[in-house]
Amino acid sequence: MQLARKLAAKLVTGLVMIWVVATATFFLVLEMPGNPALAQEAADMQHGMSPAQAASATAVMFGFVPKQPLPDQYRHYLWQLLHFNLGVSIAEEGVPVSHIVASAAPWTVILASFGIIFSFLIGVTLGILTAIRRTTRLADGLTLLGAFINGVPVFVIAIMLVFVFATILAIFPQGGTVSVLETPGWNAGYLGSLVVHAVLPVACYTLAGLGAWQLTSKSSVITVLGDDFILAAELRGLRPLTLARYVARNAMLPLFTILAISFGLMFSGAVFIEEVFNYPGLGELLIASITTKDFPVLDGAFLLIIVAVILANILADLAYPLIDPRIRRS
Amino acid sequence: MTRLARQPGPDPAGSAAAVEAAPDSVLAPDRGALGDGDAAVRVRDLTVSFPTADGPLPAVAGVSLDLARSHITGLVGESGSGKSTLALTLLNAVPPPGHVDGGSVTIEGVGDVLALHGADLRKMRGAEIGYVFQASQNSLNPLKPVGKQLLDLGRSHGERDQRVLLRRARALFDEMGMDAARVLASYQHELSGGMRQRVGIAFALLLNAHVVILDEPTTALDMLTQALVLEIIRKVHATRHLTTLVISHDVGVIGDLADRMAVMYAGRIVEEGPTVQVLAGPRHPYTRGLLTAMPRIAGDVSEARPLPGRPPDLASIPRQGCVFRPRCPLATRACAEAEPPVTVTGEHRFACFVAAQEVS
Ligand SMILES: Nc1ncnc2c1ncn2[C@@H]1O[C@H](COP(=O)(O)OP(=O)(O)OP(=O)(O)O)[C@@H](O)[C@H]1O
Ligand code: SF4
Ligand SMILES: [Mg+2]
Repeated sequence: MQLARKLAAKLVTGLVMIWVVATATFFLVLEMPGNPALAQEAADMQHGMSPAQAASATAVMFGFVPKQPLPDQYRHYLWQLLHFNLGVSIAEEGVPVSHIVASAAPWTVILASFGIIFSFLIGVTLGILTAIRRTTRLADGLTLLGAFINGVPVFVIAIMLVFVFATILAIFPQGGTVSVLETPGWNAGYLGSLVVHAVLPVACYTLAGLGAWQLTSKSSVITVLGDDFILAAELRGLRPLTLARYVARNAMLPLFTILAISFGLMFSGAVFIEEVFNYPGLGELLIASITTKDFPVLDGAFLLIIVAVILANILADLAYPLIDPRIRRS
Repeated sequence: MTRLARQPGPDPAGSAAAVEAAPDSVLAPDRGALGDGDAAVRVRDLTVSFPTADGPLPAVAGVSLDLARSHITGLVGESGSGKSTLALTLLNAVPPPGHVDGGSVTIEGVGDVLALHGADLRKMRGAEIGYVFQASQNSLNPLKPVGKQLLDLGRSHGERDQRVLLRRARALFDEMGMDAARVLASYQHELSGGMRQRVGIAFALLLNAHVVILDEPTTALDMLTQALVLEIIRKVHATRHLTTLVISHDVGVIGDLADRMAVMYAGRIVEEGPTVQVLAGPRHPYTRGLLTAMPRIAGDVSEARPLPGRPPDLASIPRQGCVFRPRCPLATRACAEAEPPVTVTGEHRFACFVAAQEVS
């Protein structure tokens, strides 16, 4: 009962946030220098459309009718949005934005999911290791390395990887998602090519996130190791394995929320990586739509990024009580 | 193992006689107060130090102490006097970066505790000595119910039969006046302070340890709960013939509970003996100060006088002479030159030049 009310409250908050973002996007386009919607309408008329034709073409593209009174424009825009109608692309004339965004999203999801999972697993393992061996030189070295990797900008990592593994060693392709020579489908050649193409960008994603996970999990484990109940458990003679499980579960709690949020941020996190590796995900779409002034696509991609962040936060809030009884039963 | 059924505590008449008696001898610090067969735990000349800015300094300095078998020993002293450090060393669990510089701890049925390590050391903890942690309020894994953690404890010590463990746990909780089914299913945050303390005691007793150490068992509890917990300690101690060490900064708690008591100051045991004798005839100026600081024993709140000065930390403990000298109203020139040796009268021991003259 209480859970249902909490869920409802979260969903309402989420919807309100999405509405705020959608509204902001609407006014952003209106306020942009040279109002892209009006400019598009003028261009259409120059190409010989009648004013009425131009107005409806612009309405399809942007989701609102430029010369209507503002409240009407806004209502029209929200109504279209409610039907997942994000307008049509300018650069790829006539193609609905939702299609463009939907075909770019899976590439980002693949890249980011593997990147987040690998950086989490490797980073946390290193973090636990450095926490347990924190008085040794190995740990000092690993901590330094983690802090260093954490400080290197993503695009530097990306360019280094391309330079070493694609240009010099030529083990992996420079970029793209799959070799054009393979026939798409569930065959070994095609899937293998997909994997080979994903290795460098995923490695880049992993390296970019690794240091932060290592440092965060290290401090979390050290905090838990200093907790009273761990000393109490040692004084009771608990097995090392049981002790390790107690430490691990308690130290993972604060990391869980961060993990959920990084999944939420995945659509925006890969901009540089996708750009360098020429990977046709949302990040690349975002950059392309900025350079071609494809405002409807820009809006759509932006909206998806925001919605993902909001959803991830709601899910994290809802899931947290499942792993922490102190929240669940109080 | 045979446990002697001794009277809990000596009779007051006998103790009064002992106080009057002249000192039997001045003992070297490596001799305890009890006869060879009566101590379940023997600490000899134990020194434990922590690294400080001035180099390693002792938190426990040359302590010798016996825990009388099947009796309650109280350890009392101000904050920082080294009570917890001493107690943890009984389990060979000096918190890092602390270090045992010398001395020995011998426990009946275990032997030389400080020589144990690895799996032997781990299995001794919990099975032979139960420890109720100073911060017992937070002594459990917050993410696991009490029952599951009791099973973890049993399994860690080779007891695989869940039913045996649960039956034992239920009996313990019943004995302590708790709803066993509810406690077993609860998480730590769902228990009150008094319940947590009792659960901590149950964990210490689950594996039938014969020595139990309780570090500040009643601190942070309200008066009513405090009385309840003291009653429970008395009860489980008596029914199991435990050898119990109770640590407190509250002389009242120790006076209520303990058969024998030791007074600790700046890492030293400055006075030790049967509780009745120590309370009726305190010898060391520090013990006297502690007692006059206590309204309950001083009789009237207006007569309670706090000890002058503050308890020293490791760096401010005098390196030469008597450690209590800076706060001592009776200090003489001799007190600045050497540490006072231990004076023994009957079962009562103390380390003070001036008090030694008083009884001779
Ligand atoms: N881990 C540690 N590192 C450095 N110094 C320590 C450590 N633990 C204890 N000490 C020092 O050793 C001395 C004795 O501490 P201990 O905790 O044994 O005292 P205590 O009598 O139990 O005090 P309290 O009543 O506050 O629990 C103190 O001066 C303390 O500062
Ligand atoms: S030896 Fe001296 S300084 Fe120390 S307690 Fe006795 S009288 Fe005081
Ligand atoms: Mg203490």
